[in-house]
Amino acid sequence: MIPYDFEYYRPASIAETVRLFWVLDHQGKSPVYYSGGTEIITLARLHLIKTGAVIDIKHIPECRALGFEQNRLVLGAALSLTKLEEANPFPLLSKTSSGVADRTARNKITLGGNLCGQIFYREAALPFLLADSQAVIAGRDGIQRRSVHDVFNGGLRLGKGEFLVQLLTERSYSGLPYVSVKKRKQWETGYPLITVSALRKEERLRVAFSGLCPFPFRSAELEEDLNRRHVPLETRIDQAVRRLPAPLLNDIEGSSEYRIFVLRNLLAEVMEEMEGR
Amino acid sequence: MQTIGKSVYRKEAPDKVTGAAKYAADFQKPGMLYAKLVISPYAHARIKDIDISEARNMPGVRAVLTGQQAPLVGEEIRDRPPIAFGKVRYHGEPVAVVVADTPFQSQTAAERIRIAYEPLPVVNTPADAIRKDAPLVHENLEQYEKGVMTYSEPNTNIANRIKIRKGNPAKGFLESDVVVENRISFSPSDHAAMETRCCIAEIAADGVVTITTSSQAPFMVKKILSDAFGIEAGKIVVHTPLVGGAYGGKSSVQWEIICYLASKAAGGRPVKLYYTREEDMLTAPGHVGLDATVKLGCTKDGKLLAAEIVYLFDSGAYADKSPDLNRAGAVDCTGPYHIEHIRCDSLSVYTNHPYPAPFRGFAHSEVLFAFERTMDKLAARLRMDPLELRRKNAIVPGHTTPTRVLLNKSNIGNLPRCLERLRELMDWEEGTLIRLSDRKVRAKGISCIWKTSTINTNASSGVILLVNPDGSINLMSGVVEIGTGTKTVLAQIVAEKLQMDVSRIHVRMEVDTQTTPEHWKTVGSRGTFMAGRAALAAADDLIRQLKDMASRVLRCSPDDLEVGGERVFLRDDPKTSVSVKDIAYGYTYPDGNAIGGQIIGRGNYILRRMTYLDPETGAGVPGPEWTVGAQGVVVEYDRRDHTYQIIKAVSVIDIGKVLNAKAAEGQVIGAMSMGLSFAGRETFEIDRNGIVRNPQLRIYRPLRFGEHPEYIVDFVETPQLDAPYGARGVGEHGLLGMPAALANSLSLAAGTDLNRLPLIPEMIWRAKEGVSHDSV
Repeated sequence: MIPYDFEYYRPASIAETVRLFWVLDHQGKSPVYYSGGTEIITLARLHLIKTGAVIDIKHIPECRALGFEQNRLVLGAALSLTKLEEANPFPLLSKTSSGVADRTARNKITLGGNLCGQIFYREAALPFLLADSQAVIAGRDGIQRRSVHDVFNGGLRLGKGEFLVQLLTERSYSGLPYVSVKKRKQWETGYPLITVSALRKEERLRVAFSGLCPFPFRSAELEEDLNRRHVPLETRIDQAVRRLPAPLLNDIEGSSEYRIFVLRNLLAEVMEEMEGR
Repeated sequence: MQTIGKSVYRKEAPDKVTGAAKYAADFQKPGMLYAKLVISPYAHARIKDIDISEARNMPGVRAVLTGQQAPLVGEEIRDRPPIAFGKVRYHGEPVAVVVADTPFQSQTAAERIRIAYEPLPVVNTPADAIRKDAPLVHENLEQYEKGVMTYSEPNTNIANRIKIRKGNPAKGFLESDVVVENRISFSPSDHAAMETRCCIAEIAADGVVTITTSSQAPFMVKKILSDAFGIEAGKIVVHTPLVGGAYGGKSSVQWEIICYLASKAAGGRPVKLYYTREEDMLTAPGHVGLDATVKLGCTKDGKLLAAEIVYLFDSGAYADKSPDLNRAGAVDCTGPYHIEHIRCDSLSVYTNHPYPAPFRGFAHSEVLFAFERTMDKLAARLRMDPLELRRKNAIVPGHTTPTRVLLNKSNIGNLPRCLERLRELMDWEEGTLIRLSDRKVRAKGISCIWKTSTINTNASSGVILLVNPDGSINLMSGVVEIGTGTKTVLAQIVAEKLQMDVSRIHVRMEVDTQTTPEHWKTVGSRGTFMAGRAALAAADDLIRQLKDMASRVLRCSPDDLEVGGERVFLRDDPKTSVSVKDIAYGYTYPDGNAIGGQIIGRGNYILRRMTYLDPETGAGVPGPEWTVGAQGVVVEYDRRDHTYQIIKAVSVIDIGKVLNAKAAEGQVIGAMSMGLSFAGRETFEIDRNGIVRNPQLRIYRPLRFGEHPEYIVDFVETPQLDAPYGARGVGEHGLLGMPAALANSLSLAAGTDLNRLPLIPEMIWRAKEGVSHDSV
């Protein structure tokens, strides 16, 4: 049971959505955008989300876009993860997002919800970070395009009242060689201990991580180290590990020192696969 | 018309698969109120102040309850205020209860109760609990009322100590060529049944208390309410509909007591108390933790001579059933082996953890993890095949158990045969450690199992059979249908005895303590044995009455008659017969005269010749029989990153007689998966303050579909002579050896001793790298 009352709104356009947000905010209702709802339900019953109004963005046509426009893949924020897996326009995304929760939950969890929620793994961000995608963001100042690096790399950086409408990715990225591996505390269910996604573009490896820190990230310096092909693999990994942002997660999924052990193995696995191709 | 052994569908299956089945929380009553708990955020703290004034004045609130000094409740030791009084002793303990018109109102008001706590030092492990300077969880242990065979030690945290003294261990170790010692430990965990606990309580104007609860022990609810609150037993009626998974966790009585108090505070109106998942995991009793040390001595050719054992069961904040758990662990302390010299101290110790209910296997998977790990360690030291070591020492008729019960060919199954079959099924000759690649190995680990059920020496069970006008039969038993299909097996037992179609036996699924004959508790794999015996007795009673009535109709001696196919007929001339339906409600002669009346069969069974254990030596008869078995696990292990997959899990169990083939296999597979889940992943993550950090299924993760190995189940049939058709208990046994077998396979694969549960890759990494466990 969600132990408080809240209002539910279902706007049909971007403009109406933004306007609603500010009206409700003005009324002191601390509105939140609502997409799949899994996290809101999970956390609201524990008072970890408090809101007087939810604004459902699933009925905004732009948020449901799925397809290629010119040379760009357009993915709406309100698409469910299973919908994305089935359509499979971006195999690396399908692979990475298919590790989130379970099938039943992914029928509800949306791309935007996974990226913008409070549960900090946000694994669906990794492919977009690797593909230097653009985020389409709606807010009081209209619709803007911003680099995903500005929005999702490290902590989530959306201004008050802003919401994610779409992600735009160059078509060429969907055909590049990739690897995505999720390691859990144990077996096949649970949050990531570490999820690594990697992609090779023009002989350079790109790598992004979830589960090491309370945010997903991609690091230019770390990639630089990994791409020094003349250096032995083990040395490159040693150097890369030194580039990790501190502090690393140290929680019930795993200690920080164990995460580093797992990361070393994961990097070795990823590099072997990507450089062997 | 053979029914025994067939895979008869469960009687409740259509209701379950269509979703029509009703569980406690599905029931509504007019005028029903809703209770909500306020639970402790501390593991150990003094309650300085509780301010209920704001909550009391919230809309819809009918009552707010806080703790009282008396009465105390608890099954073996009455040490627990139903709502905390004075101090809290575990994270999740009920501190206040709000009763309101709607669930929303009760929860909202519960959030307005202000409680001031003063944290106290926390007792966080059983080893800490027995230190001389340990803080006391219960200061007044000596004042509590206790059950038989409960030996508390006042001014310590020892709730119960059971001693096993057999032979002369000093001599045994002196004669031993090889001695090994091993320590194991694991934290408490949860049952994680699908249905969270729920109760509805109501007190009528005439004082009759009606309870509907998700419980394995409705008759114990009745007894405890009667004892604690002085209610006449006849004025307590406890209903249990179907129960959505129990695994022992619903044989403790807790939520019913709180719900009764809530109804009483609300003038007797019906009150529903429904635990959230978090409350179900924290507040309700869970699965016991254990610290153990096992020392074994043997000859150089592997004959076991002596065992010295200390089991410290984590009793958590309250004793409840834990004095029975450590006793059960004591009576089968060695695993199923013949050992002349045994010294075992098995203790329940108070800590500031959630307290334990029974858990499927009742202390046996826990104790076997400790013992069977040591057996593998011994085998490694001897450079002996671990299966051969077990075969050599397997307990057989003529040997005595740790409590000195002389075994015969009925009261114990055939362990050597189980081991032989396991050897074949696991392709043992292929080797136990096989290299698959640079990184991967396949490894095999095994464990022997045994279990007797240490339930009360005077536990009994009753069955009533009513004949319907069409000759079919209604079966009533106090066994709660917790998902094991026992009531269907009872129908099979009756059908077989009466030689009739099992579809013509109608089973009453719900139990109510007013009209259903008592079955002590639906625990300990005792349903089929005890209720089965009662069902056979009831069927015999029915047959006697049918023959008596038929003898008058057919004008012969009852001795000349047989019953079968819903007819009573002459043995030597079956055509001369009368239908059961024509005598079910008496017999009416052609002229209208009538005799007899509805035929009612009744039967009961009480455990026989069981004794209390000697307080100094443990000698005594703790249970009616031992089911034995041998189990194994095959893993594929990655030596680089310490991850692994369980490829195969095998059980060979001496079940006595298979009564329902698919049901038996299903019970064993279900239990195996539960054992692997407990061994491989499930644990409460308890921090240094005694706080459980994962009381949610998002972060406490039982085994799910897609993670299961291949399950192989095989049975040996050595009949238990006094059991229905020779069948032994089997509800729990599939679980018992899984933790030890998994740990043995992984210890072999990793090349290091793994003695902690759960066996997650990080733990293996720590053991391998010698990294100490820095509790995070």
